[in-house]
Amino acid sequence: MDDKRSELKKIIMDTKTLPTLPGVINKLNSLSDNDKASVQEMAKVVTSDQVLSARILRLANSPSYGFYRVSTISNAMILLGVNVVKSLALSSSIFEIMEKNSVGLWEHSLGVGVAANLLARRLKLPECEEIATAALLHDIGKVIVSIKCNEAEKEILKLVRDRGFYIREAEREVLDTDHAEVGGWLAKSWFLPDKLSEPVAFHHDVVKSENHRIKTSVVHIADVLIKASGFGNSGDCHVPKIQQVAWDTLKLNEQVLSDVVDEIEDKLVEVKNFSLEMIGS
Amino acid sequence: MQKLPLMQAKAGMVLARDVFRGNSPTGMPICGKDTLLTDALIARLENMDVQSVSVQGHPVWEEGELSYDDLQRELDRRFEKTIQDPLNAILYDIHKAHLIKSMEGEGGRQEE
Ligand SMILES: [Fe+2]
Ligand SMILES: [Fe+2]
Repeated sequence: MDDKRSELKKIIMDTKTLPTLPGVINKLNSLSDNDKASVQEMAKVVTSDQVLSARILRLANSPSYGFYRVSTISNAMILLGVNVVKSLALSSSIFEIMEKNSVGLWEHSLGVGVAANLLARRLKLPECEEIATAALLHDIGKVIVSIKCNEAEKEILKLVRDRGFYIREAEREVLDTDHAEVGGWLAKSWFLPDKLSEPVAFHHDVVKSENHRIKTSVVHIADVLIKASGFGNSGDCHVPKIQQVAWDTLKLNEQVLSDVVDEIEDKLVEVKNFSLEMIGS
Repeated sequence: MQKLPLMQAKAGMVLARDVFRGNSPTGMPICGKDTLLTDALIARLENMDVQSVSVQGHPVWEEGELSYDDLQRELDRRFEKTIQDPLNAILYDIHKAHLIKSMEGEGGRQEE
């Protein structure tokens, strides 16, 4: 790693000013590694944080997850499963970090979460909730760049505006790294599992994803689909190239893509309202 | 066909799709497509937690909402860098078809 980049990594990863996950999430993560932790015990941990509980319930009832009428955390645990609730807890924390920074990026992320969820379900993949969570998280690096490198961010946006760069190209030019890599660093610093950090780190370069290429492919395609829809604002106004490796990994075809686009467009109407409602509250 | 939040549904519009309780096809069906919406029916849907309905035509034009031509132009602009790529071309065609479908029966606007 050359000097500029390692210097930057130090600045970016300075924990004093890095957004942290609430203690509850860490507690949950430690509990989950111990299989004997009962559902009740986990529910108790979540319920101890009222704000988090409220957010989880709202997310559990949101169109992006497609579940409905879940009214208590233990019900959520039983109905949705422990992993889903863990994902939801994480999602709600991401939401809190993102909403403060950029509504457009939050909408983009929520859209990619929805798209990834629908695509994963359509392809009957395992761990759809984890995929949706990774998708929700995929551009978190942009938030970090914005918080930590405010001046550089202005330069990046200028390159995008004046020279028609993709955000990622401009980031590489200015910072010698990009939001995907930064997001990967952050996910590592949060001790998130590889199945979440890999899709974040490689959603623009699927071929580099070795252990979770399917999940990474879904997040990549979902990102492209939402940019094609023009939903939210990722900062890029152009649709990136669909990576052949992602297409092949998921064995996509025109029919599947067409069905999923229909489903996504349908869902986005609800998501738009939901997102406005969440932001308004 | 246009999908509207229930708040924007008005008496006189015609359902383009069946409506299910809880907005989910696994929910109990409430009323079928081609049903004419009335104030009473809308109130009933509200009580049953229906959040959105699909209606015929494109009856609601919001301020700032783009016309078909504008939407088409924006779509072209979003794809201008990658349309030569065969996979992106597939996605472009899907979106274009979707756009046409979403505007079908545009004349429904005049029925009010
Ligand atoms: Fe990205
Ligand atoms: Fe993105």
